[in-house]
Amino acid sequence: MNGRFLAIAAAALTLLAACLSIARAEPYVWGFQAEQLEYRAGTGDDVAAWDFDAFFGKDELRLVWRSEAEYETGEKNFESLQNQLRLQKPISDFFDAVAGVSVETPDGYKRVHGVLGLHGLAPQWFEIDADLFVSDRPYFRFEAEYEGLITNRLILTPSVEVEVPLVDDRFAGRGAWGPKVEIGARLSYDLVDRAFSPYVGVHYERSFGETANLKRAEGGDADSLFLVVGARLMF
Amino acid sequence: MNFSCLSRTAAGAAFTVAAVLAAGPSSADMGHGSSKGVGHAGEAAKATRTVEIVMHDNFYEPEKVDVKAGETVRFTVRNNGELVHEFNIGTADMHRGHQKEMMMMVEHGVLEPDRINHEAAKAMQADMGHGMHNDPNSVLLEPGKSGEVVWTFPEDAVLEFACNVPGHYEAGMQGQIMIKH
Amino acid sequence: MKSFGLMPAGLLCLGALLAPVTAVQSGEYNLTVDRVQVDTGSFTRSGIGYNGATPGPVLRFEEGEEVTINVTNNLSESTSVHWHGIILPTDQDGVPGISYPGIAPGETFTYRFPIRQSGTYWFHSHTGFQEPDGAYGAIVITPKKREPFRYDRDYVVQLTDAHPHSGDRILRNLKMSADYYNRKQRTLFDFLDDVASKGLDRTLADRAAWGEMRMMPTDIEDLQGFTPLINGKAVSQNWTGLFTPGERVRLRFINSSAMTYFDIRIPGLKLTVVQADGNNVQPVTVDEFRIAVAETFDVIVRPTEDRAYTIFAESMGRTGFARGTLATREGEEADVPELRPAPLLTMADMGMAHEGMDHGSMPGMTHSMPDGTTMKGMDQGSMPGMTHSMPDGTTMKGMDHSAHGGMAMDKPDPFYAPGSGLSPTAAEPGGKFLSYSDLKAQSPLYAERPAGREIELRLTGNMERYIWSINGIKYEDAEPIRLQYGERVRFKFVNETMMTHPMHLHGMWSILDNGNGRWNPIKHVVSVTPGTTVYMETEVDAPGAWAFHCHLSYHADTGMFRKVIVEGGPPEKAAALTGVSGG
Repeated sequence: MNGRFLAIAAAALTLLAACLSIARAEPYVWGFQAEQLEYRAGTGDDVAAWDFDAFFGKDELRLVWRSEAEYETGEKNFESLQNQLRLQKPISDFFDAVAGVSVETPDGYKRVHGVLGLHGLAPQWFEIDADLFVSDRPYFRFEAEYEGLITNRLILTPSVEVEVPLVDDRFAGRGAWGPKVEIGARLSYDLVDRAFSPYVGVHYERSFGETANLKRAEGGDADSLFLVVGARLMF
Repeated sequence: MNFSCLSRTAAGAAFTVAAVLAAGPSSADMGHGSSKGVGHAGEAAKATRTVEIVMHDNFYEPEKVDVKAGETVRFTVRNNGELVHEFNIGTADMHRGHQKEMMMMVEHGVLEPDRINHEAAKAMQADMGHGMHNDPNSVLLEPGKSGEVVWTFPEDAVLEFACNVPGHYEAGMQGQIMIKH
Repeated sequence: MKSFGLMPAGLLCLGALLAPVTAVQSGEYNLTVDRVQVDTGSFTRSGIGYNGATPGPVLRFEEGEEVTINVTNNLSESTSVHWHGIILPTDQDGVPGISYPGIAPGETFTYRFPIRQSGTYWFHSHTGFQEPDGAYGAIVITPKKREPFRYDRDYVVQLTDAHPHSGDRILRNLKMSADYYNRKQRTLFDFLDDVASKGLDRTLADRAAWGEMRMMPTDIEDLQGFTPLINGKAVSQNWTGLFTPGERVRLRFINSSAMTYFDIRIPGLKLTVVQADGNNVQPVTVDEFRIAVAETFDVIVRPTEDRAYTIFAESMGRTGFARGTLATREGEEADVPELRPAPLLTMADMGMAHEGMDHGSMPGMTHSMPDGTTMKGMDQGSMPGMTHSMPDGTTMKGMDHSAHGGMAMDKPDPFYAPGSGLSPTAAEPGGKFLSYSDLKAQSPLYAERPAGREIELRLTGNMERYIWSINGIKYEDAEPIRLQYGERVRFKFVNETMMTHPMHLHGMWSILDNGNGRWNPIKHVVSVTPGTTVYMETEVDAPGAWAFHCHLSYHADTGMFRKVIVEGGPPEKAAALTGVSGG
């Protein structure tokens, strides 16, 4: 990771410490949740992917390190790699406001964005992330996930993620207003508490508009379908 | 059933409750004086002796009384507790049946923890056609009150004196009557 | 001073020799706080115990005794011992941060206080999650006077909900995901069953209503996956109490669980409840009772047959059970019943069944009487035991004939919201399940008088974030509740959450207003079920600072907790306080 990222991380930690010192002594909580830690085999290159949150804080404020990556095992390069440091503050019973920084360092380009967003639980149990990535190349991302209990341990989790670039960012493969959509369904089994839940599933990605054109220009497909195998982690 | 009104005591608050609903076979023996029964109401004049019973919350003093077969005993009972208590002579089965009626009295508000609600008793009588009666084998006393039971014991029986106010019997407010020959 | 029970007697003899005039007994006791192994049969883990074991020893005191208890902390962390339900000086109460700083590793703290009560109580650590980790024991105090009931033997029956995870880990998991331990959630199969029985429309409407609130009808036990224990023994280890047929056996039930309520019955036996929270109640015979966390109930049973009887304690959410056995000889066992189906919360538990009728959460709608007083207790239209208590303590007779009569067997328990999914029924068909309304003090401790003021405590929380609070404010952000010495105060609990909260006030008695007037029972824990309003009164007779909290460990720790400060009081009382401070 680059020095800029560390500097931003240090600034965020300082901010967090300042916020926390206002409140009186209450034990901090921390945790690690990997929604996706998986291998994708499909029509294109195989991909190893992760998507996890590590957090530290208390009720009033949490610092979250969110990391998402897609690694092409054939070409041995990161198609995407994004690390965010996010401060989450409750603004309602079920939603947190998010502010933070995002650093993208896949192979080929680097991007730093400010992040403003919402994270929480919508009615009918949809877990929602809505983030605006702010810079001179802004984009918006919306994620929703639902845990469908087949039994209390066998869980089907459909998810959808939509990313909409607001301007062109050709190096990052983002064409203005051309959405990239990811749809997934993962069938997991809670093997050890909720700490280790292996799953199988499908993952489908499709780009539209200018983003799709950029993808094709690179020699890729506008859409790809994967079978996935992986595990959810929580501890 | 034999509802004798003989032994109504001087103390106004002394009441007994009739086994109207659950007239069991054993209580049907009451008052017949058969040697196999539980005995019958006695005449005070024929009593050979007086046994003093003091009621506490929730136990008697003494907890054991020896009587001679066929003897007539006058029990003077004083309630030194804070709650209403009963002194009732009968078999364990009779007590069990009687406890159900006492429960009904509680549910109708007749029996409050420390008093007998005579208004409620009348209402219960009007509603259900039965209520408070006098029974020669028992006396129900509010705190501080005294009463009397005169009883002629049979030749042979397994008898207990007990308080059938709900919960009291089970908590141990019960005494043994030993019939000696 | 190796064992309990020996020393007090020893001192007594010594006392008699040296000073035959003095009638004051004194006993000295030693407790060590140790790391121990917890073995539940299903798992083994490191925990905390007293004198090398969990549960700790049964401390046997006598009313009138002056006790000295040396507590030595053998842990590598700070600890504390709270004497649950014991009336004592503020600095002997054992709550770190309120009564004293706690007991540092390696330190011995000496508690000294007079025993001015009798009955069944318990003690536990008030530090972190040491209590759920095993730091608890029982207290049995023999009264001076003869008790209002008889028994031939007595046993402590102490329940707990031992969990394979440490308390710290449990809290972290709950904060990470509030439903982490809920394995009773409704599934696809429940959905299909409901569609089959209720139809698709109603099932979807039901799911939508709960989904809209983001709440779960299965949210009865926050913490599942525990192994219930009786006196430290699991089902397979079968704690056994011996009896001879015909004997009366006194069972001193203590619920030392961190989070779990139990429904207790002994198939084949009637249970005569004679004591609640250490205070004698007018005996009431039932088939089954529910014990809230931290409560105690003493019951008398009289097994007459020469056989074994199962003491069966199901968790309220039916995720586990404990069993013990009353037997005529060791090794004897009786049938163990099956767990009954798990209950589901209803909209009534969400306080929504009678919207517009429930004025409890609508202060503006409280009925005012012509004389300006407020008709407190109107909140729950169908709570016969509680509805018509007036602020002056009189009862509005004629409005509700059942208010005095106790509970008839077929009536729903007024201490649950009408239509509540938690409302208990006896397993025995037609059997009697104990209600709070059935509890009447055997001998009232205080003269009846009107409370000077009312303090409303709304029990609040955010289930999803796992934050619990009072009046929407967590402990760390809250001002203490200030009471004046000598006053009688009326607390109004309004449960706005979907969980049941056992509220525990330290230092002073909680007089539960269950509509029995001067016979209102005297408790130290008052359980408040979802969607209900419950009142209790306290005679403020103990100066100093006290804790007041929900006794569910993870609710107390996350904020459902208050400090109570009793201001004023006679100077001699204050002097006495400093005089008994421990070492």
